[in-house]
Amino acid sequence: MTERTKAIIEQINMDNEEAIGKALAQSEKLTDLSAEEKAELAAAYSTLFFHDYAGRSGMTRLAMRAEKQIAKFGASVLGFLISELTDADHESSAHFGRAIAANGKDAVQPVMDALNKNRENDFAMINLLGALAYFRDGETLKAMPEILVAAKAKNPQVRSAALYAAGRLARHIGSDAFDAGTTLKMFDTAFEALTDRVPLVRYNAARALGKMLTKGMLTGEQEGKMGKKFDGILGKENNWDNAFIVRHEAAKYVQYFRQDGSAKNKYFQSFRVLQKRELCPDTYYYTIQAPLIAKKLEAGQFIIIRPSEYSERIPLSICGWDREKGTINIIVAAAGRTSREITQMPVGACLADIVGPLGQKAHVKKHEGTCVVIGGGYGTGAVMPTARALKALGNRVIGVVGARNKSLLLMVDELKGICDEVMTTTNDGTDGIQGFVTHALEAILKRGETISHVLAIGPVPMMIAVSNMTKPLNIETYVSLNAIMVDGTGMCGACRVSVGGQTKFACFHGPDFNGHEVDFDQLMKRQKMFVAQEKEALAAAE
Amino acid sequence: MAELSTKERMAIKFVHMPLNKAELRIHNFEEVPVGYTLEQAKQEAQRCIQCKKPGCIEGCPVGIDIPAFIHLIEQGKVAEAAKKIRETNFLPAACGRVCPQDKQCQALCVVGKKAEPVGIGGLERFAADWEREHGTYILPEIPAATGKKVAVVGSGPAGLTAAYELRIRGHEVVVFEAFHRGGGVMVYGIPRFRLPLDIIDEDIHMLEKIGVQFVYDMIIGKVLTLDDLLVNEKFDAVFIASGAGLPKMLGIKGENSSGVYSANEYLTRIYLMQALKFPKYATPLYQGKRVAVIGAGNTAMDTLRTAKRLGADVTCYYRRTRAEAPARTEELEHAEQEFLNWKWLHNPVEIIADENNFVKAIKCEKMALSEPDSSGRRKPVGTGEFVVDDVDTIVFSLGCDVNPIIPSTDKEVRINKWGIVMVDQKTCQTSKPGVFAGGDAITGGSTVILAMGQAKNAAVGIDRYLKGELKWADANVPTDPNAPGVQWEGRFSAGKR
Ligand SMILES: Cc1cc2nc3c(=O)[nH]c(=O)nc-3n(C[C@H](O)[C@H](O)[C@H](O)COP(=O)(O)OP(=O)(O)OC[C@H]3O[C@@H](n4cnc5c(N)ncnc54)[C@H](O)[C@@H]3O)c2cc1C
Ligand SMILES: Cc1cc2nc3c(=O)[nH]c(=O)nc-3n(C[C@H](O)[C@H](O)[C@H](O)COP(=O)(O)OP(=O)(O)OC[C@H]3O[C@@H](n4cnc5c(N)ncnc54)[C@H](O)[C@@H]3O)c2cc1C
Ligand code: SF4
Ligand code: FES
Repeated sequence: MTERTKAIIEQINMDNEEAIGKALAQSEKLTDLSAEEKAELAAAYSTLFFHDYAGRSGMTRLAMRAEKQIAKFGASVLGFLISELTDADHESSAHFGRAIAANGKDAVQPVMDALNKNRENDFAMINLLGALAYFRDGETLKAMPEILVAAKAKNPQVRSAALYAAGRLARHIGSDAFDAGTTLKMFDTAFEALTDRVPLVRYNAARALGKMLTKGMLTGEQEGKMGKKFDGILGKENNWDNAFIVRHEAAKYVQYFRQDGSAKNKYFQSFRVLQKRELCPDTYYYTIQAPLIAKKLEAGQFIIIRPSEYSERIPLSICGWDREKGTINIIVAAAGRTSREITQMPVGACLADIVGPLGQKAHVKKHEGTCVVIGGGYGTGAVMPTARALKALGNRVIGVVGARNKSLLLMVDELKGICDEVMTTTNDGTDGIQGFVTHALEAILKRGETISHVLAIGPVPMMIAVSNMTKPLNIETYVSLNAIMVDGTGMCGACRVSVGGQTKFACFHGPDFNGHEVDFDQLMKRQKMFVAQEKEALAAAE
Repeated sequence: MAELSTKERMAIKFVHMPLNKAELRIHNFEEVPVGYTLEQAKQEAQRCIQCKKPGCIEGCPVGIDIPAFIHLIEQGKVAEAAKKIRETNFLPAACGRVCPQDKQCQALCVVGKKAEPVGIGGLERFAADWEREHGTYILPEIPAATGKKVAVVGSGPAGLTAAYELRIRGHEVVVFEAFHRGGGVMVYGIPRFRLPLDIIDEDIHMLEKIGVQFVYDMIIGKVLTLDDLLVNEKFDAVFIASGAGLPKMLGIKGENSSGVYSANEYLTRIYLMQALKFPKYATPLYQGKRVAVIGAGNTAMDTLRTAKRLGADVTCYYRRTRAEAPARTEELEHAEQEFLNWKWLHNPVEIIADENNFVKAIKCEKMALSEPDSSGRRKPVGTGEFVVDDVDTIVFSLGCDVNPIIPSTDKEVRINKWGIVMVDQKTCQTSKPGVFAGGDAITGGSTVILAMGQAKNAAVGIDRYLKGELKWADANVPTDPNAPGVQWEGRFSAGKR
């Protein structure tokens, strides 16, 4: 043992968060470790994997950091990790599995060798299959035949682990990497396992099929077969699967089969993505099927979307709707984990939940002077329904769209179709007026037009600038407050904002409020409440 | 087995419900009481002296035949016991866990006059769990369709119970729920260490099996209005069970600081949106190291214990003393075992934030109890002495007002000045023809079992209305905006078939 590894290992053995953190920081810096040192450190760090850290999230995080550290040691410790893995307990096997999987391609063959060597050792098989579940590399599919053999093993826990691994690989390795033969075999194996005697196996089979389905790996025929089977599991034919976990799992995916005709009941809406268009990088315009919601939406209202079981509920504005076709249009900018999840959904996929219409209707009436609607980013779409409503009452409506540069100006043509006139502003002068949206307002005033109503939706600094400008001029100004929300129905108070010195719920009393009365400073600070957690959530999804 | 004499029964020792150790359970979200074993349940069941005039039934809001089911457990016929309970109570596994038995059945138990009352809640839970785990539940027969359709708004205990009671009378029932899953407060409020999720899910699946339809993500009042339901969708009646979901705050300075939550937000993030499994589930929770919980009711106990499980140093602030704390006794006791701090007679007056608007400290006035007033109640009064404690998270657990969505979108549904939906106490009819209401929406916040009791009453009312036996002209719906919500007096006798 060298001096430096000795010092590190002593700190690791202290079972103290601070000491372990220090040890990790030290060894992360060392780039010239010898193979021997790596082995020593790997052995020491892996002791962290054997504790049950329930409720000690700090320690769990350190153990995960240790995983990454060990993974960096590369091939020289793979043998050690695999042999530890074969008799690790449930908790620690996950740590070993991830550390091994982090080696990517290089680790596939060694794990396959271990699989073949341990055919008779159920315990080792379970852990090895568990480790395969963490692989992300297309190369891993080489092991699929072995996995599918294991899916028919005698021991139900082995079967279950194999199906779990197959499901994870389907979810995390791009569907392009799967050839038709592999997919077919996976489907048949998992489908057969739906009638396994053991609930856990059936559960993992349903899960694997579900992942294949959501990744678009199945043929229409397979989907049909699976849809029927899942309906059976859920009790459509009167002999449902008696295990709750299996039904629960099946229920997650049935939305993907429900073509419009076969909806579960009259009021069921499948929130299918019908059209998708990229407006600028990371920002998409969507047409989504939501017939009942489309019927009731009014200008100014918004919806909440939860794209999947694991997502947050996030509020989104509406750009328009078609009551006859039963569709709604939204713009989604990938800001964090959940909005990104939406932008990744392809045409044909279904969003798990959409709730709405939420909030109060926009403040529209016939005005004497001109109405100006101002949009920045997704806000340009968000002002469209109100612009239409103002126009319908006979107002003169000017649209103003602002962005950093020309390529980020959104929805200008669409807005032109609604407003009497549309002005654009860019910070760099690549389109329209150079400067901010307030410069457009100034230009309108300068040419002698009276403005009687302003609606501004977009980034908070923009709404502040507009409100600050119109306040001394006494021009009625509404802004749409994008407070952080949870339920969006007035039930939790997450969206509290201060307006005119009073606390209001943005989702229930708003989202549009008098811009001259809003405490923007508080709003901005409250929006930053979860910054650290949002980063972590995003990292976890990747 | 020979029947035991009363004396022998009285001599048997009370079987304490085994609990998970406080030192361990504060690190996880597993259920705290682990439940009786068959042997323990049988022994506890033997303590019941099978009274001729049982007090317990009087104390039970839905009138479960308690001695009868306990006797069945004593004989080892647990499945039958569960069936017995189900005659009157549709959610026994949930009620066995969350009902305030100490204020209801167990408070009136005859044995309780001399010794510890019979552990009725624990036995109820035991029977229900047995039934679920052994799959002995038999779906009820559904009579021929009556051709009538009822819409139930909300899937909390009131909504689920009404759906069941109406379905077994042969009506078509559709439940509309605003959230993406059913259960109401049982899912988004009551913590997992008191009520595991699969229990509620199982009950909802049972309802689906007998043909109740569920529609999620559907806000009545917004997507479909009451008139849409009654006119366009041709429902013959609507039952509003939308609960009490509007969080109360104190209105003190600094309340909108980051890190200040209502209990609704805090618990919803954790339990409905599963922030307890963050980051696998994406919903975040900003949870500091020192958490202050304001209030001492059931909700406060749940918040306190949840925060503790998330690893914080947690303190309860309440402006009265422990004796006045409105929480269920068992909950208070379990909480007291869990290494929490208690600041009785502390009334928060201000929240102090740092320059980024994050909570830094809470300022409280120390209180004292006044001399009893004419009603015997001792009011907390300020002493003029203030303390400031460093905290980084504050959760207001002060209860809720009634969910305003439906009354705000349909003015024909009359509410009082606190927003509580006004109904005829007997039939649960509201001021709008065809519309009934029950649960927290008509009481302004009570309990699972009272919500269920009212739902049963309402189901009988709706059934009579559908048969043409109930006229709206006879409904006695208060018009005085100062009239209180429905208060429970005596048992909900209705609904026994
Ligand atoms: C009424 C309303 C209408 C909205 N309309 C749209 C829309 O039409 N299109 C669109 O793309 N976005 C819209 N938003 C903003 C959108 O809700 C957020 O971008 C989204 O919640 C971010 O979630 P996330 O999980 O992807 O990112 P997170 O990781 O949660 O957050 C990423 C970043 O976004 C910020 N953020 C988080 N939540 C919000 C929020 N509610 N509002 C603003 N910023 C937030 C965070 O501070 C963080 O910096 C609207 C918000 C509201 C309240
Ligand atoms: C934290 C906490 C702990 C508690 N602990 C206990 C306890 O230990 N024991 C006990 O007996 N009681 C307890 N209670 C009280 C008990 O949970 C409630 O009294 C009971 O759930 C009320 O039932 P409900 O069906 O009337 O309403 P809820 O359970 O509130 O259900 C109402 C449902 O209606 C839905 N809804 C609302 N508006 C609409 C709409 N417009 N359209 C469609 N759906 C809508 C809501 O989303 C919700 O799901 C507790 C409450 C809380 C908050
Ligand atoms: S009152 Fe107590 S002893 Fe008497 S029947 Fe009820 S549970 Fe048994
Ligand atoms: S988002 Fe919950 S109250 Fe507004």
